[in-house]
Amino acid sequence: MLASRPFNPVPGGVMMRIRGLIVCLFIVVLPPEASAQRQLARSILFLDQSDLRGPFYYDIFRAFRQRIAAEAQSQATIYSESLDLSRFGGAAHEQNVREYLHEKYRDRPIGVIVAIGTATLDLVLRWRSELWPGVPVVFGLIDANDVGRVKNEPDITGGTVDLRLADAIRAARAVVPHLYGIVFVGDDWNRQVVFGHWKEEMRTATAGLQVTELIGLPMNEIRQKVATLADRTVIIYSAVYSDEKGGFFPPAVTLRFISKSANRPIIVAAETFLESGGIGGFVLQPEAIGADAALRVLRIVGGEDASHIPITPTNAVKPIFNWLQMQRWNVGESALPEGSEIRFREPGLWQQYRWQSAVAVTVLLIQAGLISILLHERRRRSDAEQDARRRLAELAHVHRQSIAGELSASIAHELNQPLGSILTNAETAEFILDSPDPDLREIKEILADIRHDDLRASQIIGHMRGLLKRTPFELKEVDLNEVICESFELMSAQAATRNVALYLNTAPGRLPVSGDSIQLQQIILNLVFNAMDAMTEIPFGRTIMGKTVVDGGCGVISISDSGPGIPTENPNEIFDPFFTTKEQGMGIGLSIARTIVQAHKGRIWAENQPEGGATFFISLPLLPR
Amino acid sequence: MPGTVHIVDDDVSFRTALERRMRKAGYEVATYASAQHLLDRLPGESGPACILLDVKIPGLSGPDLQQRLAELGSTLPIIFVTGYADVRATVKAIKAGAEDVLTKPIMSDQLLPAVERALAHHETSRGLKARLDELRARLARLTPRETQVFELVVQGRINKQIAQQLGATERTIKAHRHRVMEKMGVDSLAELVSMAERLDVLRRLSAGIGKVD
Repeated sequence: MLASRPFNPVPGGVMMRIRGLIVCLFIVVLPPEASAQRQLARSILFLDQSDLRGPFYYDIFRAFRQRIAAEAQSQATIYSESLDLSRFGGAAHEQNVREYLHEKYRDRPIGVIVAIGTATLDLVLRWRSELWPGVPVVFGLIDANDVGRVKNEPDITGGTVDLRLADAIRAARAVVPHLYGIVFVGDDWNRQVVFGHWKEEMRTATAGLQVTELIGLPMNEIRQKVATLADRTVIIYSAVYSDEKGGFFPPAVTLRFISKSANRPIIVAAETFLESGGIGGFVLQPEAIGADAALRVLRIVGGEDASHIPITPTNAVKPIFNWLQMQRWNVGESALPEGSEIRFREPGLWQQYRWQSAVAVTVLLIQAGLISILLHERRRRSDAEQDARRRLAELAHVHRQSIAGELSASIAHELNQPLGSILTNAETAEFILDSPDPDLREIKEILADIRHDDLRASQIIGHMRGLLKRTPFELKEVDLNEVICESFELMSAQAATRNVALYLNTAPGRLPVSGDSIQLQQIILNLVFNAMDAMTEIPFGRTIMGKTVVDGGCGVISISDSGPGIPTENPNEIFDPFFTTKEQGMGIGLSIARTIVQAHKGRIWAENQPEGGATFFISLPLLPR
Repeated sequence: MPGTVHIVDDDVSFRTALERRMRKAGYEVATYASAQHLLDRLPGESGPACILLDVKIPGLSGPDLQQRLAELGSTLPIIFVTGYADVRATVKAIKAGAEDVLTKPIMSDQLLPAVERALAHHETSRGLKARLDELRARLARLTPRETQVFELVVQGRINKQIAQQLGATERTIKAHRHRVMEKMGVDSLAELVSMAERLDVLRRLSAGIGKVD
């Protein structure tokens, strides 16, 4: 019966166009009691037209199986057969397969036949009355235009796909603006089990475009040609199953070879081609096909009549593009058709290391919080320090004023020296000028001397003013030797008046420290005054010895006197505020001195000398040279 | 009056100014940075001179120098120069024989008269001293016997007593006495006594100094 049925086997026997004949088949084949004889068996025979080596059919099957396993209440047995129709064909092969299936499943009651692909469906329709009479059929991956062939079949349902060449062209235009040409790459259209109908659509779909067909060519030739394509062309890949050596491969694998040579982007129409080097397009999603078939099977297994389940389009075609290829061909996301999905986009750091990133961000936030708290504290501290410095500067100023007061008598005497010289010199000059023959050279000498003395006087006043000036605490590089020399100079007149011998012995070179020279000078003056006061009771031999030495990284100033020493157990008590041994002392001089020294990050201390007298030490860190 | 001014001051600038002024006023000038310096080169007194001395000089002070010079028999008048008026120090200096005390800054119309006065003063004391030296020289020319006679004569002894004391004849004593009058350049006993007075002979004798017996 089947052999007599007219059909049109294409050489290679893959695509069979039997549209129109199905009507009579239906009448002949279908027994009237078919639906009544329905097997209640839960076994499913899944047939596809390829083999499962390629990812496309495998994905269909996987989705199908997954869905059945997830939904079926009782265990459904799934048998699967790959008819391998893209590689084998012809009446003999079909006969073998038929007998094989017949024998294999003789004792296996099959509940539902699943036929994936047009070629499979053609065979199933031819064989069903003999092999699986009354068994409902579910099909998938049937072009919407081909669905007419099942119109009069009983107990059949399935999903159709709408894989249009026009969509591929749309995708091509999106990928290459101002598209000029299309290059079709694939096996003979007749051998194409999924894309064969494109040949018929070609004329209308490619209107206005230059079309090149690299169809049915050996692989090496394809690879040569796709390497030298013109500008503004796009390759549309259907499927190539063989390489130049005659080996058969799944078309996803052959696409990989082609893509390596291609100098233009490749539009594809199957989701599984994306990974192999296709830039994308409106692609078939195998999982959707498998899932759709599974849903139909489940309904039938659940007791529904297959003929009552409408044949509907499977929503299996979707614009999907490959990000890596888009980068390669410089295609922007905005150029893609609306609703396009982009695959293989490099995941961002956030997507890749979500929780690590979250931890890192949290840590950073906590750190930032801590830092801002610390900064705030530091700010407060520096404000407080500034405040303390300002107070110190004020206090030091008050104290300096009292020192300056004590110094004023000797300063006046100091000033008298240059003033006396100036007066005498000026009078001498007048005298010379009054003479009949004035000696101008001498006048010049006198003027030079006057200038020198004037500068000297202003220097003395400058020192005094420095002491009286209210200055903010300011750290600069100062030479300890210079500070002590100036201080001793200021004190020299005072020392002479009070019959005290001042000696100064400085370390060689400079002793640079970071300091406020006025305040340091103030400390030294204070110490020298104290030493003088301590020696008032001594009738003779009043001596003050100033000294600077380098000790480690510090410059040390020492001021020794020949007085009675410090009359207390602990000589360093004297630095406490309001501690005084003088009748009219306030007891603030040394405490101010200590505060100043501490503000200089230095140390001040006092010792009684074994041979008598006290020595005060000031140690300040030297600046690196 | 021409003369020499010795300036002692540790301040080189003031010293120079004073020196210049003094030279312009027509004086010879010698300068010293310290009291010791002056002592080391003790100035002679062959002509009128004076010392301008800073009270506050390091080392030996002005008053110290004044004392040392007095001990050395110097008659150089000292004008003290001070930085500021210190009444106590001034009184002390004047008592110790200071010629004057000037306060810096010193106007020329104070300084020049002061120097002039000092030089004049020195000239006077220098004249007195010269005459005394002359008398001493004359005294020195007397023989020991004549000196004995001179000392006894000015103590009011008559020839007879002298002869008795010295174990000589009255006549011999008379001859000695005549030579003494001659050598000492006097004509009368009164003049001789006056001279002895000036030479301080009487006081020394009454103190037992140089007593003959």
